[in-house]
Amino acid sequence: MQGQGQPTRQLPEDIGPVGQFMSRRGLLRSTLGGALGAAVAAADLRAAPAAVPFRKLLLLFLSGGASQLETFDPKPDSKYGGPFRPIATAVPGIQIGELLPHTATILDRLAVIRSVNTGETSHFRGHYLLQSGRTVPGYPVLGSAMAQLLERPDDELPGYVTMRRHHPQAYTDVGDAGFLGPRYEGVMIIDGKPPANLSRPESIDVAAATTRDRIRQLTNRRFLQQRTPRSIQSYTDSYRKAAALMRRREVFDLERESAADRARYGDHHFGRNCLLARRLLEAGVHCVKVAHHDWDAHFENFHWQRQRCLEFDRTFVTLLDDFRDRGLLEETLVVIMGEMGRTPRINYYGGRDHWGDAWSMAFTGCGIKPGVVLGKTNGLGTEVIDGAVDAGDLFHTILAAMGLDSTGNYQVGGRDNPIADPASSVIKEVLA
Amino acid sequence: MLVSALLLVGTVPHVVRAEVPFPDQVDRIIDAAHRRDGLQPAELADDEEFVRRVHLDLAGVVPTSVQARAFLEDSTEGKRVRLIDRLLAAPEFALQMARVFDAMLVERRVATIPSYDFKPAEWQGWLATAFRGNMSWDRLSTAVLKSDGADAKTAAAARFYLVRDVESHLLTRDIGRLFLGKDLQCAQCHDDPRIKAYRQSDYYGLYAFVSRLKHFRDDEKKLNFVTEKSGGDVSFTSAFSGEMGKTNPRLPGGEMIADPPLVKGKEYTVKPEKGRMGIPTYSRRQQLARQLPRGQTSGFSRNIANRLWALMLGRGLVHPLDMHHPENPPSHPELLERLGQRLEQSGFDIRGLLREIALTRTYQRSSRLPAGADPKRPSRSSEFAVAALRPLTPEQLGWSVLQVTGRLPSRIERFERKLQETAAKQAAEKKKPEKGQQQEETSRVATEPDDSNWRARQQAYTELASELSGLVGVFSRLPGQPDNGFQPSVDQALFLLNSEQMVKFMKDSQLLERLLRLEEKPGELVTELYLSVLSRAPVDEEQGEVARLFAAAADRDQRREVIRRIMWGLLVSAEFRLNH
Repeated sequence: MQGQGQPTRQLPEDIGPVGQFMSRRGLLRSTLGGALGAAVAAADLRAAPAAVPFRKLLLLFLSGGASQLETFDPKPDSKYGGPFRPIATAVPGIQIGELLPHTATILDRLAVIRSVNTGETSHFRGHYLLQSGRTVPGYPVLGSAMAQLLERPDDELPGYVTMRRHHPQAYTDVGDAGFLGPRYEGVMIIDGKPPANLSRPESIDVAAATTRDRIRQLTNRRFLQQRTPRSIQSYTDSYRKAAALMRRREVFDLERESAADRARYGDHHFGRNCLLARRLLEAGVHCVKVAHHDWDAHFENFHWQRQRCLEFDRTFVTLLDDFRDRGLLEETLVVIMGEMGRTPRINYYGGRDHWGDAWSMAFTGCGIKPGVVLGKTNGLGTEVIDGAVDAGDLFHTILAAMGLDSTGNYQVGGRDNPIADPASSVIKEVLA
Repeated sequence: MLVSALLLVGTVPHVVRAEVPFPDQVDRIIDAAHRRDGLQPAELADDEEFVRRVHLDLAGVVPTSVQARAFLEDSTEGKRVRLIDRLLAAPEFALQMARVFDAMLVERRVATIPSYDFKPAEWQGWLATAFRGNMSWDRLSTAVLKSDGADAKTAAAARFYLVRDVESHLLTRDIGRLFLGKDLQCAQCHDDPRIKAYRQSDYYGLYAFVSRLKHFRDDEKKLNFVTEKSGGDVSFTSAFSGEMGKTNPRLPGGEMIADPPLVKGKEYTVKPEKGRMGIPTYSRRQQLARQLPRGQTSGFSRNIANRLWALMLGRGLVHPLDMHHPENPPSHPELLERLGQRLEQSGFDIRGLLREIALTRTYQRSSRLPAGADPKRPSRSSEFAVAALRPLTPEQLGWSVLQVTGRLPSRIERFERKLQETAAKQAAEKKKPEKGQQQEETSRVATEPDDSNWRARQQAYTELASELSGLVGVFSRLPGQPDNGFQPSVDQALFLLNSEQMVKFMKDSQLLERLLRLEEKPGELVTELYLSVLSRAPVDEEQGEVARLFAAAADRDQRREVIRRIMWGLLVSAEFRLNH
């Protein structure tokens, strides 16, 4: 205890008298009666839901590093330009690579940044840097940040779902929530498989589960008597959410989408995951990350970029059209980026290597000013000559587009920690 | 307030302290704060609360029903002290401390390339052996900071460096946090704007001890080491002010340590070559291992005192544990000071301090709020007026599930039997003189009861550990992240409700069979069940509920099923999940 003269340290666990949550009787009724808890076990200490914007985030992560020269920043007249030609787009005067013909027709819906300079050429560090906006380890990545910042007491589904394939070159996804802790860790979907333990095991029938639950609640009720309710409530709350998720486990089941939709999205990992992303975002997940793999073309870059673009281009535009038609795009920010770009110089094997100094990314959806193309690289594409942005700026901008205050703080375990790096700032040019 | 408390420490004569038993000194400080703030502390925990808590804290697992019953039925004076002493002397204590310090020092990290690390099991084995011999904290710290992986005896201790990829910045941060209680991370790039006491020069002073370290891999033997270059200076520039500095190794608040002059051609005692690890003539890391783990190093005693207190009470006197600085003073400055002094006086005896803490009334308070407590003003955890509800660590939870279901005790029993048989066989063979030579060899196999006790447990725990890896994974905090308090998540609930692993634990439960033997005496059965899982007797309402469920069961199979469901229901209760 400090003396009276001292300011009280704001510790989450110290805040809030019992009465602030719910009367004990009310809690008992909710744990007893509504078995799986229609009632809100409001042990939540975060900001009032009213302050939480109703927005979602879809992150399409081009893992391995897409070549900016074959996508958003072609350099046809340069010795590093490669064999592909630029094509006209829906934005007058702006050309992109011919490998993205569908994207070209809707470029007026995107905001493209051609001047990303992160300087980072490691996959591992790049994945972390671009998703967290930080070089210092331990910060939450976008998805976990969203899961925390957009959390509502009545959420039934996890705030963050991340999809990738099972492959050693998946690079990251460990400890994504950083200091926010496991609660905000992404639910991982690997090779399309739903999360573990969503179904009751065969050996537990309904009667068994009911008895088990009765005993659990009876024990909790006795235990709660005369005790500080916070930990107990948050534990019982996790069971309420588990039950809800079990009830709604079909949200992970792509078979429930029409065959036509599955065909339109494409019968490949990326296509299936994008369709699943639509399904999850519609169901109420706050943030979905879909990793699109194999952009890391150290050999035969032009073959690989073509391959990757072929998958990406059509699926991406299908998804955007769908999102628009379903009204999802008004409340969803879509971010297209990887952990780095690729070297302008073409190596001995016809590949492009790791490159962080001058590359491209794009946004669309809520909060974004469409049709903007920001920044400029030099003739060879080796340097940003105008409008350089770093990973911290991108992180600020994503938050701002989501309607969140990027200069705010997390309050975790008694510390204030800036949500976004205070040394970076919002890129106003791309915001609506 | 802070100042006056510090003054107080300075003026208390030593004689007075010597007269009052240490646990009472602790309680007096805590009680005085309660009186000052008009707080009514909770009653002492009853025996049921106490027996579970003290087992979890000192043995790492809930008591068996036999252990719980023995304690509850003991009506003699001083039984709590005796239990504490028994637990501190038991093999489980060393195993539990190994888990605690593994979690503390490794923080669930995994090396970027896992094979470039030391094997976790060997490291944990090393820790367990250290704690079995009650290795003091300064010696343990020295071993951890000193080991380069080359000396067989302490090789495993090099895991502290290896699991962090021997990355100098990460090491700097974690040495500061874990050994000195100071998270200097923000001072890497500039003086910390939020914490005035954390200077960039402190960060780089610490960094200079480890900046020359590198990972060394012996590809032939497939072994990993920590190697050090003979040269390399440290300079830094503030990202804010552009100010530059240069530094030699220096502990925060300490003096700079000059390197001895480097003699050309004599930089290394073993020259680094391809495939051979170099050993520098002068090692800054050795300096670190020598200079840091000492009472006079600012923060060293207070850090570990605070961490041991937090281990037992669920919250540090300084909180967060790695935020010791003037603007974040301890809740009870005098107490932290005393705990630190006590450690120094006892030669950093970890077991000794844990014993003192366990004996305090503060530790032994109930988690039930005192009658008439104002619910509008719940007690703060920093007041230590009511016992905290602490989540079981992943290991405590896992081992407790195995304890309750009977898997752990039966495995220990099996090993004990095996060792006894071996010992008996040896004793018989001893009589035959012709086997003289072999005897030397095999007599190392546990004849001492204490040793066989230890070995049986170590083997049982080691063997069963693989069954818990799934559970521990689901319940662990994230790698490299400090504990953020209780964060129950949905996947954890789903694991306990639906996973194949839990199905298996519940299916192969020895407890079920044991209880079924009592099916003619439902009253005893229910008591035994609750005692086994929750270390307490059932209340009337629970007796009634179970009786109702039982009445509906027609035959033995159905009764078995009923018991299984109840047992499972108890395991997923908040009461089981929390250390209370």
